[in-house]
Amino acid sequence: MNKILLIIQREFLERTRKKSFIITTLIMPLIMVGLMIAPSLMAVYGTGDSKQVVIVDESGTVAPQLAQIATPEIKYIDQSQLSIEEARNIYNEDSGIFAILYLDKEAAQDGDVALYTNSSSTPIIEQTMAAHIKAIIEHNKAKEAIPGIDINEVLAKISTEVNIVTSNNDGSSYSSGINYALGLILGMLLYMIIVIYGQMVLTSVVEEKSSRVIDVMVTSCTPFQLMAGKILGIAAVALTQIAIWAVLIIAASKFLIPELFSAEVASSNDMMLTSLFDTLSNTGYIATLLVYLVLYILGGFLLYASIYAAAGSAVDSVQDGQQFNTIIMMPIILAIIVMMSIFQDPNTSVAMWFSMIPFTSPIVMIARIPFGIPVWQIIVSLLILYGTFILTTWIAAKIYRIGIFTHGKRATWRELWQWLRTK
Amino acid sequence: MEPILKVEGVSKYYTGHKALDDVSLEVPRGAVYGLLGPNGAGKTTLIRIITRITMPDAGRILLDGKAITADDIFHIGYMPEERGLYKKMRVGEQAIFFARLKGMTKQDAERRLRVWFERLNIADWWTRRVEDLSKGMAQKVQFISTVVHEPKLLIFDEPFSGFDPINANTLKEEILGLRDRGATIIFSTHNMASVEEICDHITLINRSRNILSGSVEEIRRAAGGNTFEVTHRADDKSFAATLGGHATIMGESRGVAGGYRATKIHIPKDEDVKQVIAALNDECGLRAMNEMMPSMNDIFIRAVNGTL
Repeated sequence: MNKILLIIQREFLERTRKKSFIITTLIMPLIMVGLMIAPSLMAVYGTGDSKQVVIVDESGTVAPQLAQIATPEIKYIDQSQLSIEEARNIYNEDSGIFAILYLDKEAAQDGDVALYTNSSSTPIIEQTMAAHIKAIIEHNKAKEAIPGIDINEVLAKISTEVNIVTSNNDGSSYSSGINYALGLILGMLLYMIIVIYGQMVLTSVVEEKSSRVIDVMVTSCTPFQLMAGKILGIAAVALTQIAIWAVLIIAASKFLIPELFSAEVASSNDMMLTSLFDTLSNTGYIATLLVYLVLYILGGFLLYASIYAAAGSAVDSVQDGQQFNTIIMMPIILAIIVMMSIFQDPNTSVAMWFSMIPFTSPIVMIARIPFGIPVWQIIVSLLILYGTFILTTWIAAKIYRIGIFTHGKRATWRELWQWLRTK
Repeated sequence: MEPILKVEGVSKYYTGHKALDDVSLEVPRGAVYGLLGPNGAGKTTLIRIITRITMPDAGRILLDGKAITADDIFHIGYMPEERGLYKKMRVGEQAIFFARLKGMTKQDAERRLRVWFERLNIADWWTRRVEDLSKGMAQKVQFISTVVHEPKLLIFDEPFSGFDPINANTLKEEILGLRDRGATIIFSTHNMASVEEICDHITLINRSRNILSGSVEEIRRAAGGNTFEVTHRADDKSFAATLGGHATIMGESRGVAGGYRATKIHIPKDEDVKQVIAALNDECGLRAMNEMMPSMNDIFIRAVNGTL
């Protein structure tokens, strides 16, 4: 059996059998599910006032009935006598009004509705309003269609998809809640994987060195096989953990939440999930997104893991490794800062460049992807990332093969440079 | 017969000191070869150069007459002085892992390891974690991991350190057994007692240099004579004063029956033995003086002190 495979297997089994691995793998989804249902819980049990939504309905066919509806969450106010411009001026941020719902003349036919919000909207609110409007429009259309004969024709005729297109009332560009949440989750996931598993590589190299297992290992395989096996083994652990999380989170929200909470919370949560998946499937890339995610996780992790391995080989204790770790963390932190800024506008040149630079691209690009990024940008970014990964691995291997045999003080930058040039 | 391993003019410098200075030696095929020397003499450095963990600054290592390669090293068995085992792994799994890295199949490795575990009375530890083992226990596991793939060349760095006398004895027998089955064994030690019993050949390294090499029998014969055990009444201080520069005291004196003390001395060839006897007789109450074959320990001390 190939030696790299043997080492991968050893690293993988040692880590996945650890209690700490099993515990974090089980607890993380609980936290995630908790975070997911918290907004639903608040929406249902929240004591906050119901949100007031002003309606400007140019067709005049929806607003009267919509104004009749009052739910715990939403209260509609019909102001169709105003033009939409007037309404947006009057009901600004200071008015205490949550949003202005604008239906143009065609809205009652095509279901395209605009929402101008003064504070951040949520998928649940939007879904609720869409459902209300849908019901009214379909009701109206049904009334028109009754004289007809063919019931199927009637059903086909009345079916109306209501799409709410949201933008900020003050004119600034609006990030949809779903894109925002998805981008944030993906970006943070990449950040976590790179930092936690990257440092695992560093710690593991240092431990192997200080326990002198390294001496036995290098008389059985080459340093490169050892480094590659370790990095790939840990990468396999990371991917396994993410796969388990994905399965557990989906299973928990499908089966556990309906068990534990009232139907109202469950359906609200379900609606959020549905809207999440709707967003994904509407833009047609749930599978593509997964592929990108795996590519960026692997590329980002491998890039940093090789650097962490080289750093680990150059020190004798994990404490000494902290100094290198601080430096390695800098581009990662920078990536997080840039990621936060892209939620304002995912298409600035800063966002674009940082999703090309390989040391920040895994975090920045994966957070941008939900907003819809040209495919060529993603491909170029991935090519740069994997090209750099090959380069850093080559450099890291050169440092590693010498570093693992040096004991005593922490290597200086000059020594690292010498190791790099040693034949 | 061509030696299995040749060390030719190997030197290694670290900033500030020479770890090895032009060391050459030949290890005959099928020998148990001892690398002796005080702590810090350079034994471990030499072993790490042979195993290609460290590169020499000068000289070369030949295995079967050819420059040794990384691939050669992957087939030998090497047990480092500081025991290297994965602490979190279970003993059996770890031994199988190392055996497979050396090219054994899983089934083959497990079968042979089980036999070894039985032999060294550690079969019960198969599923224990390495971190729960004592130093001596971990050492047995390491020993088995080193030899299980039956390499033709075995290198042990200080194999007896950390073992109690009973286990050290077991280890000696196993080393001799491996030799009888055709392996060549090189080991380093500063424990001379182990040398006489199991080594065929030795090299004595002191202060980075090879100061004595050869077969144990020849060395003992060459160094023989002029070593005596003197039984006398004097205390250590006046005994040493009486000898003056004419003889060297070997090791500690010991009390024997009747209030006498026994002290080993070596009288260099250019000194007159009779004069020494006369002086001891006059000053120290000499009772008996017996000539001895030198032990390797004596040879070691004399070689290190430059009085061989």
